[in-house]
Formats: sequence, structure tokens, C-alpha cells
Amino acid sequence: MYIQVDNAQTFIATGGKPFDATLPTVVLLHGSGTDHRGWALQARWFAFHGYSVFAPDFPAHSLSEGEALTSIELMAAWLIRALDTAKVDKVHLVGHSQGFLVALEAAILLGDRLKSVTALATASAIPVNAALIETAQTNPKAAAEMMLRWGFGNHHQYGASAVPGMQPIGIGLRIMANNPLAIDLAACNAYTQGSEKARQLAKLGCPSCVILAGQDRMTPKKEGLKLAQELNTSAQVVNEAGHMLPMEAPKQSLNLMKKFIQSVEK
Amino acid sequence: MSKSSFLGADTIALHSGYQPESDHGSRAVPIYQTTSYVFDSVDEASALFNVEQGGHIYSRITNPTVAVLEQRLAALEGGAGAVCTASGMSALFVSFFSLCSAGDHIVSAAQIYGSTATLLKHSLKRFNIDCTFVDINDQKAVVNAIQDNTKLVFCESIGNPGLAVSNLPAIAETAHAHGIPLVVDATFATPYLNNPIEHGADVVVHSVTKWIGGHGVAVGGVVIDGGNFDWLKSGRFPTLTQPYEPFHGMNFWEEFGPAALAMRIRCESMRDIGAAMTPHNAFLLLQGLETLNLRMQQHVSNALAMVTWLQQQDAVAWVNHPSINPDSHTQALFPKGAGSMLTFGVKGGRDAGAAFIDALQLSSNLANVGDSRTLVLHPGSTTHSRLSEKDLIAAGIGADLIRVSVGIEDLKDIQADFNLGLRAAAKVVAIQAEA
Repeated sequence: MYIQVDNAQTFIATGGKPFDATLPTVVLLHGSGTDHRGWALQARWFAFHGYSVFAPDFPAHSLSEGEALTSIELMAAWLIRALDTAKVDKVHLVGHSQGFLVALEAAILLGDRLKSVTALATASAIPVNAALIETAQTNPKAAAEMMLRWGFGNHHQYGASAVPGMQPIGIGLRIMANNPLAIDLAACNAYTQGSEKARQLAKLGCPSCVILAGQDRMTPKKEGLKLAQELNTSAQVVNEAGHMLPMEAPKQSLNLMKKFIQSVEK
Repeated sequence: MSKSSFLGADTIALHSGYQPESDHGSRAVPIYQTTSYVFDSVDEASALFNVEQGGHIYSRITNPTVAVLEQRLAALEGGAGAVCTASGMSALFVSFFSLCSAGDHIVSAAQIYGSTATLLKHSLKRFNIDCTFVDINDQKAVVNAIQDNTKLVFCESIGNPGLAVSNLPAIAETAHAHGIPLVVDATFATPYLNNPIEHGADVVVHSVTKWIGGHGVAVGGVVIDGGNFDWLKSGRFPTLTQPYEPFHGMNFWEEFGPAALAMRIRCESMRDIGAAMTPHNAFLLLQGLETLNLRMQQHVSNALAMVTWLQQQDAVAWVNHPSINPDSHTQALFPKGAGSMLTFGVKGGRDAGAAFIDALQLSSNLANVGDSRTLVLHPGSTTHSRLSEKDLIAAGIGADLIRVSVGIEDLKDIQADFNLGLRAAAKVVAIQAEA
């Protein structure tokens, strides 16, 4: 669906069903330079099993217009305005990589509207190499290639695909090369409040779930385990996947996500 | 942006899409000779049917062996996804079927494979899809042919059998300026010689039967979704950008973006038309693909040598190959050589040509190309025989034209065989002269 946020046309993927704000809402937040399509399969499952899905393309990403947001804090504030526009009350926040930094920042602002947080292939801080940010500014295609060389795990580097016949590297490159990757990476690099926010959430008793990838070379597993400690939860690891976990292992990641969110809903 | 793998082409041809499976460690891609797949539970079955998870349901739609070939070919061509089909013609049909509806229009190169011309001119017309044929390298003609209801521009990267090389960047620019995708049949080029997506094509089709298989034992086709065309911005493709009722209103563009066309073909054409590649054929075609790059070097080298040799023969009237007086775009698009097809005519016209073909012993007179063995054919009386005289001329097919798919045998043996043919043709000329 399209909604207007800050006077800009904004695309919200709803998993193939009309959005219904009265249902439990799962918010799926994409990572740097990507878009809602990283959640294509998970979004459909939630949408067809009693949930409403709210998976935005952040401003200037893929199907959304507007100016790219330059900090995680701005992205979190924008997300809340988007949720308000769609009249969404309580939410389960799910974030991949940068998307989880946004979730951490937004979670505190949401207060009792927050039901749970789920982290996929991420950490509480995502420092980004200066050379990568510079490449993303001058040559987004080259930066996208660098990202995905590191982002996908071994199987996908050899052409594996969770969806028969597809080439996830090719799909990812096309999406990333046209999105404001440099701005996203700089925002990740500058964000330093993740650990503090995660500890605050733990103190508030917010249910949390951490799903990591065994072959993650961008937010290494040890950083994800640290995040799990900060959130005072345990981490689940999908060994055969890399950083692009939602695309690489949609079934395994969905199974862990839905088990957790269903347990919170009970 | 046409890359979809960080491996080199030789490595992709051998490894992409498959790593030894965990149960038995089979190094070769196994043949999953099965119609169907056991579901873990009713819930899992439901999730597969509703595209909530990837996987296999029924081999008309997907199959693990076929998927390896699809992913390998998508990687070789730099596409976002691929769908294999029962033949090259079915690959073309599902491409046209997925992009066009009744009342739509196609602009096509005039110089194309005879069955494709028949499909465009007659079969699709029954469904109220019209086609205008043009000289595809004449951009004014292409622009003049484009209508409000035009859904695609179609050409072969090397035309069959006229061997004109399509100026892909120029054609793509013209098509894209009108919000229309370029669909390219790249069978004669193979992914080794030219990758059309790199040069602006949006959809690439191959008859995998030909050089990719190379052995002449299995028929198959593939559609590769380039993933670069903005179907929404174009505004011409409701089949991809509007809800599709039979899949609970799925919007392919919104949900799958760069792979929207491949998903539409999978969800609709493979389900409704069912022109599926068999797993055994996929296995056989994978065996060929593994050595495509090596074989193509020999194909091209032999073809170039045969062009030079034929030009030196007294009985030969003319020889055609893209390497003869090449356009600048031919050199730019085909730095490794413009394929292993050549055409020529012998002095004495059609009758002498027939004598040439009938006298051959090593080379085979048959309706195929791209076999590792040398193949010859008289298109005017076979593959293109359903074309009118006017259409034959537009397609570059004279009555004396002999089409040769140069194989990878020892060059001297191909030449010795052609000498037999040329002597037979010369006898016809002598008889004609006496008469």
C-alpha cells in the first residue's frame, strides 16, 4: 500500500493482503540499501496467518519517494510517523542489520505500543569501513558489489537460492545499486546508542529475540551474541547463512521469527 | 548492472547453483526424477502453494535438477532469475504470453528463425496480438513501428539464418526511450560470446538445445529475467504491476521487483501451459553447459577457418558470416567471434546446393544447429519454408542459401567433406551448362 509520510509517497509492503490495523502488526525493517523485498516470503506468511504486515521502504528507497534520512534517530522518528499515519497501535518490531538499529531506537520511543523486538543478522553497533562509504558515494554499483561479496554466505556465492531459479546476488545488486547506500552506511557508522538502548529494553522487560547467521562477515556472530547479552536474551544461529539472512534462509529465519512472535502473542 | 555472480564464467558453468548435497555427497548434479515432493505438514504445503516459502511442489512448476540449470544460466547471463522450459520455442511463447495480452503489439526483427516468425505472424495473431516486422538495425524503422500498445521489441542477437548482428545497445536505447523492454533470443551467440543484458537487453531467451547442450540429445529452453527494467515506470505492464487474482492478488513487481517477470512466468505460464523441462533433460543439458566455453572456442575457430576456405573455392558463389566486413557494433559486441554459423551459396543455385548437401558424408543434413558435429540445411525448403517469397527475402534467405552450423571436428575432415559436396555441385553446374 502507499501512504503519505512527510508529504512523500511511501510504499509499505503488506505481504499480499490488505493492511488491517486491528490485527497484531509485525513491522519488518530492511537493511542498508535494500528494501521490503528482502522480507518477501516472511511477509506473506505473517499476512496470511492472522497478522498485519507493515514493511516500509524507507524514504528514497525503491518504491518510496522523499529524501533519504541521514541518521538512525531520524529513521526511527520517521517510522513512528509512518505507523501513526497508518493508525497502527501495538507492534512487533523486526529488523535486519541497519533495520534493527532503527528498531532499537524506535522501541524506546514507542513505549507501551511495543510488544517485542526481533533482531536478524545484526549487532548493537555497525561500524562501517570508511573506504566502503566513500565507494558508495562515488560508485554505488561497486559498493553494492563489495557489500554482497561479503554479505552472502558460501552457498549463495555458489549460486544457491531459497527460491528455485532465482539469483539472489543479482536481485540484491539491482536493488542496492539504485538506493541511497552511502547515506545508510554513514548512518549505521555514526550510530552509537545501540548498546544503551538494548540494555534499556532489557530493563523494561521487553520480549526480545536474536537470530544470527553463522557465516555473517558484516555483523559477525560474536557481535550479535553481545547484542543478545545486552537484551538479556539468548541467540539462535542459522549456521549455513551469511549476513543476508532473511533472503538466504527465509524458511529458517521465518520459523524462528514466528515461534517467538506467536509466543509473545499468547 | 548485469552481474549476478562473483565467480568467473568458467567456474559458473561448472559450479553455480549446486554444491554437493548433504545426504550422499554426490559431486555431479543428481537427477531428481520425481513428479512431486513430500510435504512435512499441511501447513508447509499451504506455505509452498502461497509462496510463503521457497521449495518444490510439482515438477511442472519447479524441479531441483532443473533449478540448478536455471540458476547457472541466470548467473552466466547476469540475470536476476531464470525459468527453463521444454524448448526454445516454449521459452519464447511464455515470454510473449507474460508480457502481452489481447490487443497488444510486438515489434520484431524481420530476420529471425522461421518458427518464431510463424508464432509472431500467425499464431499470436489468433489471440489478437499483432506484430510489425522491421529491419531491426534501422532505428527509424523501429521507432515508426512502435505503437501505444507495443509491449516489447524482439530480435535475435545473431539472426537466423541471415546472420545479421543486432546492434543491441542502439535497439535497447530506442525501446527504453518508449518504455518498452528488449527481448533477445541469444541462441546463436551463447553466453560465452555475448551477454545481451550487459548491452541493454531486458529479457534473454535461449534454445538450450543448441550449443549450450552441444550434444544434440535433449531439447530445452530458458527465459532469463534481466531484472533491470522498471515495469511500473513503463506503465504498460499490468500483468506485472497489478494484482494477479489467481495468486490472492499477488503484485509481482511490488513483491519480487527485479525478478517480477521470472516469478510471473513461474506462477502463471508453468502452471497453466506446463511446458516444463524434464529433470533428465536438465541433467543432460548441464553436462553440455559444463564445457560450453571450451567448445565455443573450437566452434568459432573452425567457423572462421571455414569462411576463409570457402571464399577460396571456385564452386562457391558467396559466403556470409558476421566476421566478413563486420559493422563496428559487431566487433564491439562479439570480441571473441560472432558465432559458428555461416551461410553460403554454390554456383548453380538451388539445384547445385541440393547436390552439395546430398553428397556430404561427415556433415549431417538436419534441422538443428549448435550440435558439436557439423550440420547443414537448406532453410528455404525446411525451417523457413512456410514464409512467403517476400518474407524470405526480408529474412535474408535466397533460394541458394545453405546454412552451416560448423562443428568441432578436425578442420581438415570438415573441409574434405565439403570438397565432396562442392564437386557434386560443380557437376550440376556442368550439366546446366550443357543443357
